[in-house]
Amino acid sequence: MGGVIRGLLPFAVAVPVLAALQVLTADAPFLVILSLTVGVNIVLAVSLNIVNGMTGQFSIGHAGFMAVGAYVGGVLSKVTSEYGISFLPEVVSDQVLFALSLVVGGAVAALFGFVVGLPSLRLKGDYLAIVTLGFGEIIRVVVQNTELFGKALGLSGVPARTTLFSCWLVVVVVVVVAKRIHDSSHGRALLAIREDEIAAEAMGVNTTAYKVRSFVVASFFAGVAGGVFAHYQSIVAPSSFTYVKSMEVVVMIVAGGLGSTTGAIVAAVFLTLLPEGLRSVLLAVTGDGALAQKVEQIRMPLYGLLLVVLMLLRPQGLFGTRELWDMGPFRKKRAPSPPSPLSSSASPGAAPEVVR
Amino acid sequence: MSLLKVHRATMQFGGLKALSDFSLDVAQGDLQGLIGPNGAGKTTAFNVMTGVYRPTSGAVVVDGERMNGRLPHQVNRAGLARTFQNIRLFKELTALDNVKVACLADDRPPSSPFSRARIDGLRRQGRFAPAHALDAWGNYLDWWRALFLTSGYRADEAHIEERALRLLDVMGLAHRAGEQARNLPYGEQRRLEIARALATSPKVLLLDEPAAGMNTKEKAELMVQIRRLRDEFALGVLLIEHDMKLVMGICEQITVLDHGETIAVGTPDQVKKDPKVIEAYLGVESKELQA
Repeated sequence: MGGVIRGLLPFAVAVPVLAALQVLTADAPFLVILSLTVGVNIVLAVSLNIVNGMTGQFSIGHAGFMAVGAYVGGVLSKVTSEYGISFLPEVVSDQVLFALSLVVGGAVAALFGFVVGLPSLRLKGDYLAIVTLGFGEIIRVVVQNTELFGKALGLSGVPARTTLFSCWLVVVVVVVVAKRIHDSSHGRALLAIREDEIAAEAMGVNTTAYKVRSFVVASFFAGVAGGVFAHYQSIVAPSSFTYVKSMEVVVMIVAGGLGSTTGAIVAAVFLTLLPEGLRSVLLAVTGDGALAQKVEQIRMPLYGLLLVVLMLLRPQGLFGTRELWDMGPFRKKRAPSPPSPLSSSASPGAAPEVVR
Repeated sequence: MSLLKVHRATMQFGGLKALSDFSLDVAQGDLQGLIGPNGAGKTTAFNVMTGVYRPTSGAVVVDGERMNGRLPHQVNRAGLARTFQNIRLFKELTALDNVKVACLADDRPPSSPFSRARIDGLRRQGRFAPAHALDAWGNYLDWWRALFLTSGYRADEAHIEERALRLLDVMGLAHRAGEQARNLPYGEQRRLEIARALATSPKVLLLDEPAAGMNTKEKAELMVQIRRLRDEFALGVLLIEHDMKLVMGICEQITVLDHGETIAVGTPDQVKKDPKVIEAYLGVESKELQA
């Protein structure tokens, strides 16, 4: 039992901290909105990192799973918005229903992840990328043409139930899950698949099962992130889940260092706040708001430029595969070996065909 | 008792017969060699045995279980572990983690309802479906235990770590536990591969050119080590090797392949004198050249 208590420790710490933050930010709505955007992006980046970073597969359709969670959760909340759980006060009952719709949205996304992943994770490298890309687009087009989901106009009237507390609690959950997967024997199996799939298979690792599982976990959290997103936007439009959104998440984890959860977090925070910072800077420099209003358009080439610079200067990403908690004062008992001057040339997923 | 039996296995790639009518029998305590010139089909034979390739015809039987059509990880669970000719370690992981990966499901305690002993028992009775279900379910529960850090999970992890460290120690790599695999010297990388293979608790160990790239001293040590492993872990060992001195030195029986055909089987002395073997390695006395 002691283990379970230790297992829940991060939440015991996070809950009061987040509750306090929620109270403190009560009269700073802009800050809250910003923190929600950041939170959703962290959840997306950390979950995608389980597939792309730890397992070494290359999925670029994360926005598709996010859309599934957003629409399913959104519809569910809309339907249940008139109801309440009788023995609970209205606020609490709302939050319970909200949590339920997040979980259901996540579960449906996970189911999609399973259905998409099972056949396509047998493919290697680029092929998986193409399948996931296609999946993301299919979801968006289907949603765009379904009456239930509001067609191209989007699903409006989703009750605004996301709070700073609930959003960041999800962030804590996904980070804890990612770390624990990484540190367990399952994580080691995933890393082994990333390093050398043929060798992993030869050492008794059921590579297909592990790949599908990591994909399902990532899809689940993408769905939950979608649900969180739907419940603070109040309107869910298909345009939020385009290919660009998927690429944004990929950029985050590549910039942070594929395989590093903390890298994904840092990059997600930075890249989400970048447009805001840019807006303030442009406003200050030019004086009028003309350029500052175009930040959304300026953002994308800037991302591209940033990636090019990063790949030239630090191809392994900000953190490489290392974690913040493995460095400095957080270091584990065994000191990590000094990084080799040769940077890794391993290309994830591209296993040679001939086994020698 | 025969642990690994290959019965007339043939592997055909389109028009090319990479291996034809290959038969082999490895029992516990055996130390056998598989030799042949380049391109003779030795590694193909390994790949057929370990499930990387599905033989075109013939059968591979591990500990009484027919392996045709099984995936490599299933063959591994049945008791066949291998190393690779061109080292395939998990380069970015530490030496210890390399071994721990291979420990995976092997280390559920015997008291667990999902223990390896129990799963193997079911399998031996021929009840593959329940064995598979039990294994998969245990694996699934392990995920949740890992997520909640239950005490049972931590005990398992501690057990895995202890076992992995012991195996590193057996292969003389204990001092390298925290080192990334790619930073190890070549000879140690080869030994780490063997440690990793041992971690899957194999019945038969297949070594693909274990001494390649080693110097004479390392080779001599390796010979002693392989013999010791066979005795200590009650294994059958089959090795592919180019170094004739090593093969002739430790193998009790040798199978010689050439162009996918088995051209000789016997003790080192028999094989050494076999005219076909001499022909394959050194060529024919220049009859064709004169013609």
